[in-house]
Amino acid sequence: MMRYLRYWIGAAVLASASHLAAEVWAAEGGRAIQTGADAKPAALSPAVRDALALTAKVDDYLSSKWTESNVRSAAPADDAEYMRRVYLDLVGKIPTVTEAREFLEDTRSDKRFRLVETLLESSAYLTRTTETFRAILLPEADTEAQVRQLAPTFEAWLRKRVSENAGYDEIVREVLTVRLGGRGGRGGNAFDPKAEPSPLAFYVAKDGKPENLAAGASRVFLGIRLECAQCHNHPFARWKREEFWGLAAFFAGVAKQGREDANGPIRETAGRHELEIPGIKKVVQASFLADEKKPNWNRSGRGAREQFADWVLGEDNPYFARAAVNRIWARFFGIGLVDPVDDMGEENPPVHPELLDMLSKEFRGHRYDLKYMIRALTATKAYGLTSAVGRSETASPQMFAAMPVRSLSADQFFETLAQATGFRENAPRNPFFDGTTKGQFLQLFANRDEKPTEGQTSILQALALMNGSLMTSVTTMETGDTLAAVAEAPFLDTAEKIEALYLAALTRRPRSEERKMLVEYVDGGGPAKDSTKALADVFWALLNSPEFRFNH
Amino acid sequence: MNRKNRSAFRLSRREMLRLATAGVVSFSTSGWIESLAADTAKDPKRRKSCILLWMTGGPSQIDTFDPKPGHANGGQFKAIETSVPGIRISEHLPKLAQQMKDIAIVRSMSTKEGDHGRATFNLRTGYMPQGPIHYPTLGSSVSKELGSDDAEIPNFISIAPVRAFNPAAFGPGFLGPQYAPLVVGERALMDPKAGGDARNLSFRVENLNTPSDVDQPRSDARLGLLDSLGKDFLAQHPGITPLSHQDAYQRAVRLMRSTAAKAFELDQEPAAVRDAYGRTAFGQGCLLARRLVERGVPFIEVSLNSSEGAMGFGWDTHQQNFDAVKKLSEVLDPAWAALMNDLRTKGLLDSTLIVWMGEFGRTPKINKDAGRDHFPGAWSTVLAGGGIKGGQVIGNTGVDGMKVTDHPVAVPDLLATVCKAVGVDPLTQNMSDVSRPIRIVDPKANPIQEVLV
Repeated sequence: MMRYLRYWIGAAVLASASHLAAEVWAAEGGRAIQTGADAKPAALSPAVRDALALTAKVDDYLSSKWTESNVRSAAPADDAEYMRRVYLDLVGKIPTVTEAREFLEDTRSDKRFRLVETLLESSAYLTRTTETFRAILLPEADTEAQVRQLAPTFEAWLRKRVSENAGYDEIVREVLTVRLGGRGGRGGNAFDPKAEPSPLAFYVAKDGKPENLAAGASRVFLGIRLECAQCHNHPFARWKREEFWGLAAFFAGVAKQGREDANGPIRETAGRHELEIPGIKKVVQASFLADEKKPNWNRSGRGAREQFADWVLGEDNPYFARAAVNRIWARFFGIGLVDPVDDMGEENPPVHPELLDMLSKEFRGHRYDLKYMIRALTATKAYGLTSAVGRSETASPQMFAAMPVRSLSADQFFETLAQATGFRENAPRNPFFDGTTKGQFLQLFANRDEKPTEGQTSILQALALMNGSLMTSVTTMETGDTLAAVAEAPFLDTAEKIEALYLAALTRRPRSEERKMLVEYVDGGGPAKDSTKALADVFWALLNSPEFRFNH
Repeated sequence: MNRKNRSAFRLSRREMLRLATAGVVSFSTSGWIESLAADTAKDPKRRKSCILLWMTGGPSQIDTFDPKPGHANGGQFKAIETSVPGIRISEHLPKLAQQMKDIAIVRSMSTKEGDHGRATFNLRTGYMPQGPIHYPTLGSSVSKELGSDDAEIPNFISIAPVRAFNPAAFGPGFLGPQYAPLVVGERALMDPKAGGDARNLSFRVENLNTPSDVDQPRSDARLGLLDSLGKDFLAQHPGITPLSHQDAYQRAVRLMRSTAAKAFELDQEPAAVRDAYGRTAFGQGCLLARRLVERGVPFIEVSLNSSEGAMGFGWDTHQQNFDAVKKLSEVLDPAWAALMNDLRTKGLLDSTLIVWMGEFGRTPKINKDAGRDHFPGAWSTVLAGGGIKGGQVIGNTGVDGMKVTDHPVAVPDLLATVCKAVGVDPLTQNMSDVSRPIRIVDPKANPIQEVLV
């Protein structure tokens, strides 16, 4: 009883000093910690049961592959490891101390499903999913200031559609068919300060050029890299130059108005669907990729982009669902069934073709419902395996017999750091030069096209994490909310304080040898002979540790 | 994978740290810092350095080093005489013209790739991007051979790169994070306050100092804690990602504890010297390159991205080529010339190779927008300084510049020449990520023997 009391007060003290206070108090509801008294929503809903049918198929498939290839899968992840992973994947940040304690102490057998359901209903899930889609659909916003300026209207549109649980197909259709400005008319100007939320930025990022639009659309929506075919017929690749320009011709009417280097509106000349291949004076008609089907220009109201969208999203399109599922898989397992995810050509076949087919069929069958896939994949045996497998040479990562260590996106890392430390910032962001703490941080930690399983830490990042102003502020008593709350909690002894910092940063309790070493350090006061400063040192070390830095 | 080579953690230090952690307070720093005594120019064992001047976007050869006076393709620039009779270059490179005795122009680059991303990868790694192999950029390969594991300043510094065309072309690839460049000035380019005012531009490494209330003993204790908290995780988790974390921290601490980081503080230079390089991002970057060479850094690259010093692909002159190239030349000429003068004065030019290149050249024919488009068929690169027989031109592109008429040079030929000039065997093998050894440069390459000393 005493333990519970201490723990509850500890949690409350910790929370009241942080911006999470309201949330925590609401969750506690004034009652003592009785975890899961009335968890909502109902756990094994039909939706969950439906997804678990796919989970079982994935498990069967991979288990038989492991047997076949004589691969021993890693041990299952414990609750703490699973929780941290699923939080990072679904809501883009780690849990709070209170959330961690509740989950770790929950004894119900279905608590992992319940956790996933709770996260899927959270606003953080919306934010994370919006950001994930934005990174796929508008990657240019990470690197080009001009496009970043448009990210807010793009994200507002995306967030609305994600919150309505729109299928991925509907989202893609809106990108491909968004209304552009007409000849001489208004509209199509994403830079208009009064521009409505819309996916128009996709066209701006591609400079309104048919060839860029075709290359981008085929890479993202079809998983095919066509860029090389733009200039020449590559001897080893399947796609020919004419096929590339045939695809580009669906965007033939699209053009940016005004000077090349200005932010002109994107306009469309209706009815155009042919293009001249630059340099060889050959005109090609819009035509689908490697498909006998021909566009039908007589159908009323179906412009070139609409017909392209119809084809991409059609029942029998061989690429779209596979490309989508492969990206989702890569998001949860660090590496796709085809790797890299945007190169699904014949010369780069999937490692598990049957699995890819099965997943794409089910995804399509479930109206491209992302939540369905998330429920199914997060429940798989493979997703629930530990990443702690030792240094001995392991099976190929594409056997999915262990979870790889994945780097965090800049956004995930910032939100995780903020969650662990209680850092907040209320400053307006300038899209051209973001001088906010978050903006500077995102710039320094931008992933620059890295694969999450090959994330590299730079010296400059390490320096910022050791000595930068953000880290200094959150590891200083006067300015660090979490640190201050823990250090000043009167009912916590040193060991409990250290436990609270571990839960805040690493979502787990310290192991006994860690606890022993750190209690000694803190009680001894460290070089400063000051136990509060020594506690700050411990927090600093936790926040700089590789265990904090990665999704594992 | 060559783990032994890749992991920067040596067992001895690791053991030492573990012991130190038992009594964390008395933890010693000696494991994190290794001292380097160097008086670069006098060091008889001094190896060569390489400075790559990277021209983002692909510079026009006709308007720089391969003028075509008297032909319609020649455009509006005049050709001027240089200090070497018979060699003429653009009128907008007058200071370089005076240094031609130490410069060799390769006018017969003949490459195949006309896409920015792929060509950038090709020129910077020597290979075409393909499948699962992550080829390292030249700076990583060369600095691995020439650099010291214990150097206080990283062996490869990249100044103000714009990596958007192909980020992988700027990285260490399969060599691993230990050979990644320390990038400086990239954020400054994004910051209008810095990029807009190049006068005060400094490429100082940020966050080198510990917070004010963390003195050395406390900093040592923190690092001791970090090491003991991280070691279980690192032992349990394979892969590049955790290794890279460990490596970056180790190198960062070494840099923090070193006085060599003062090399990045350009305000230690007299104003007249800073002026001579030009108060541009590129000019000051060249000055920094010189300071780094003085401290023995083996590979430095400086990118010229735009004449205004901001993010950009300035040499990608599809429109208004002549205005743009004139402005860019006015940035390039003083910076490069001052760099060579300074190196010569300090006795370092003979041991410092300077390479000038972009990803391709530009069309001899001028387009309707007074621009020039991508042209990999016949274009120029330049080699100067250490290891190079200057005062000569390799190859020829005829009267109109449309094709190479003599001595075609492919990408591997050029990179093999660079390796030879700095004393690195281009056939050196590294274990790749597809478990087979790959040479720094394709073994079919023919180094340009005529330019090698």
